[in-house]
Amino acid sequence: MIYFLNCANHALFYYYLASNFAYLAMLVLALRTSAAHLRHLESIRFDWFKGSPLIPPITLLVPAHNEGGFICTAVKNLLDLDYPELEVIVINDGSTDNTLQSMQKGFDLRHVIAVYVPKVVSAPVRGLYRSDLDPRLLVVDKEPGGSKADAVNAGLNAATSPYVCVVDGDSVLERDALLRIMVPILADPSRVVAAGGIIRVLNGSELQSGRMRRVRLAKKSIEVIQVVEYLRAFLIGREAWARGNMLMIVSGAFGVFRTDLVREIGGYRAFAIGEDFDLVARLHRHLLEQGSEYRIEFVPDPVCWTEVPSDLRSLARQRARWHKGLLDVLWPNRDMLFRARYGRIGSLALPYLWLFELLAPVIEITGFATVLLAALFGALSKTLSLEFLLFGYGFATVISLGSVLQEELTYKRYNDWQDVARLVSYCFLEHFPYRQLHLIWRLQGLVQYFRGDMAWRPLKRQTQPSEEDINSTSSSVAARN
Amino acid sequence: MGSAFDTFRKLGPAAFLLKAILSVAVADLLLLGFILLRRTYRSWYFANRDARMLTIHRQWDALISGEIPYAKWRTKTSDRELIEAMVLDVLEIANPDESARLLKFMRASGLIEKRIMEARHHRGWRRQKALVSLARTRAPEGIRALAEGLRDRDSETRLAALRGLGRMACPEAATEILDWVDDAGLIVPALPLQSALVQTCGERPQVLLAHLDHEDKTVREVLGRVLGEVATPSLGPELLRFADDDLPELRAAAARGLSYLAPSSAITVLSELAKDSVWFVRLRAIVSLAKLCHPTALPFLLQGLTDPNRLVRLRAAEGLVDFKAELVPIFERVLRLQDQYGLHAFVTAVENAGLARSLATDITADTQISSDDRKDLLEALRTGKLSTVVGGPQERLRAKAAAQS
Repeated sequence: MIYFLNCANHALFYYYLASNFAYLAMLVLALRTSAAHLRHLESIRFDWFKGSPLIPPITLLVPAHNEGGFICTAVKNLLDLDYPELEVIVINDGSTDNTLQSMQKGFDLRHVIAVYVPKVVSAPVRGLYRSDLDPRLLVVDKEPGGSKADAVNAGLNAATSPYVCVVDGDSVLERDALLRIMVPILADPSRVVAAGGIIRVLNGSELQSGRMRRVRLAKKSIEVIQVVEYLRAFLIGREAWARGNMLMIVSGAFGVFRTDLVREIGGYRAFAIGEDFDLVARLHRHLLEQGSEYRIEFVPDPVCWTEVPSDLRSLARQRARWHKGLLDVLWPNRDMLFRARYGRIGSLALPYLWLFELLAPVIEITGFATVLLAALFGALSKTLSLEFLLFGYGFATVISLGSVLQEELTYKRYNDWQDVARLVSYCFLEHFPYRQLHLIWRLQGLVQYFRGDMAWRPLKRQTQPSEEDINSTSSSVAARN
Repeated sequence: MGSAFDTFRKLGPAAFLLKAILSVAVADLLLLGFILLRRTYRSWYFANRDARMLTIHRQWDALISGEIPYAKWRTKTSDRELIEAMVLDVLEIANPDESARLLKFMRASGLIEKRIMEARHHRGWRRQKALVSLARTRAPEGIRALAEGLRDRDSETRLAALRGLGRMACPEAATEILDWVDDAGLIVPALPLQSALVQTCGERPQVLLAHLDHEDKTVREVLGRVLGEVATPSLGPELLRFADDDLPELRAAAARGLSYLAPSSAITVLSELAKDSVWFVRLRAIVSLAKLCHPTALPFLLQGLTDPNRLVRLRAAEGLVDFKAELVPIFERVLRLQDQYGLHAFVTAVENAGLARSLATDITADTQISSDDRKDLLEALRTGKLSTVVGGPQERLRAKAAAQS
């Protein structure tokens, strides 16, 4: 028994070290990449891009389900984005509220018989509407499909641009976000097939008419911890993975894809739990099987502000769902593991996701159990285990502080001293008990998956910028999707 | 086997773990300290910078006119950088007189010369920065330095130089780019090159013609696309020779350029190009036919409505809708085509042009149409569908191909 426990503890410690050193390596890589990116930005003038007659058009796909309260404000903001060739397609996914009516009123919609070729599968379309006020706006009214993916697919069928960008109706895009996200695509459109921007936490910030007015850190601890998490995930994780062309997730809230490729792979998988991750995984598979030379980029400066859950219950649901989504994508793609055909994706990115993301809660909980048992059987030095705990805590804090440093060195969205001080303090505070709770939520996700519980439970939304909102402080609950 | 923690203790001569804890604590403190110091420094730096900027603004006219001697500020790096940034910002929105004044100031003060020197002698991001600054001035003397940047080993620098030359928007810059492409081939992605050439060749597209015989097919394709974009009436007859070129890009360029010729000489060639095997050549031809807006183009636009490619059908429909006065007879002819996809494209174009209601009124008011035909026309306009499905196996096959395009 003691022998078994010691073996397990050894494995656990090496696992722990590997995981943290991987993150440390990513931090170093991300810092270098960001520095290079910032210098690269100095050689770019966005107004030059705007003036180019060859700038490729983009279709923004905005799935909307019962969002009558704020959809008009959101669409107005999207139409105001700083991009010369824009088309906005709002997909009314069988809303039971006044989503369509408020858009009809707000944008003077008229029914049109436009060409709609159902290249990818989605629920039937009831009608297409074009705005008389702004012909760039098309509304697709469809039967409820039961998922965001189904709605996006309908929009994909109606899109006429070579690039599509899926945007959540409840997110706020910065005005130059599209120009910025297109930089790698414009530099090499034949190779760059997709690009993802950064998602930042909207909670706490001030909005004016649905536009970002002042960036502030959220009030609640749970929201601030998520800010640290998002910084870590995007500014370290995605930056580093993208550097090696191994980016596996382009966030569903803000990402640009080549339309023909997305159609070629059949669009979004309608009942995928993590449809954004699923799409990127299938894109990698498709392109690698074809032997194409391609890149999927992460661009850290175009920002999409999105609301994150502000209560434990919603957060637990969201995280369980994300973890279910992870398994839902990794399992069907298990045949890509360690096969030369799939290059770095099969040999590095996917194994990392299996080992350090998907199985992390299982391994960690097993680790807790074995350490506890070893202590009970007297096979553990209390001093040393305490020391190791301290080391682990310190190490994890270095990574979190690293992400805040990365933010400080580069994009510096939080200008208030108070905000930065709070952000830094949560780098020290997030480890107890948030991380343990997170572990449990992720385990719950796995259990739900194996029980076949795939239902998507809509999360309550406390506030949203409505038509009348002039000043609103956002501190609401919303899911990522 | 000992405890896993013991193993860690044995890893070093002393307590490995304690050292590790100490290291991470130091790392944490260093990170914290760095963040705090940097913030403090930046607050101080930006406060100073803003104050200096305000002072410069107050002395703006004296500075630009040279009343304040250049020697007084140009040796101070921070002042020089600040003034240059301010001048470049103003330059981008200035009227021609103001631009000339600012450019004169930049020349006299040596700012342009300095940037030229940096663009020639620096490497990496410093060179890129200099290239961008030079391009922002749009000073012709910067073209040479930008052209040298095209030959840099670093692809980012080459792109910066290319964009910079594009910004110059003059034939001299185009010549530099084209000469470089002749020498080096296509060593940058096609889009930035096309973009730069479109910007620089607009004034004198003839500069492209001499380079269109390049032996590299890819280069010819890119140049062909550019030619298609920048073609002007002056180039029309020259383009005829590309109408039967092997490369579809050049045929497409010819098709585009032909829209500038007189309909009598253009329509015959365009009608042939509208039957091309490559879809984008047909598309260009249809767009040009639509642009000519001449009655003799009508049969070919109607033919374009039955094209297997969706974009060609849509453009043909848009072209047909431009014949506003003859919309009713055109609609009749569209229906006679008995092509569901063509009808759909036409109705879409009518809807998009906001003409659906007026067309319905015109059909109702037209006394020359029999009541049955009127009913069919109105029904087709309302539903976008043919009243009867006509067609044999070949028609169905074509319809299937059209649906998939």
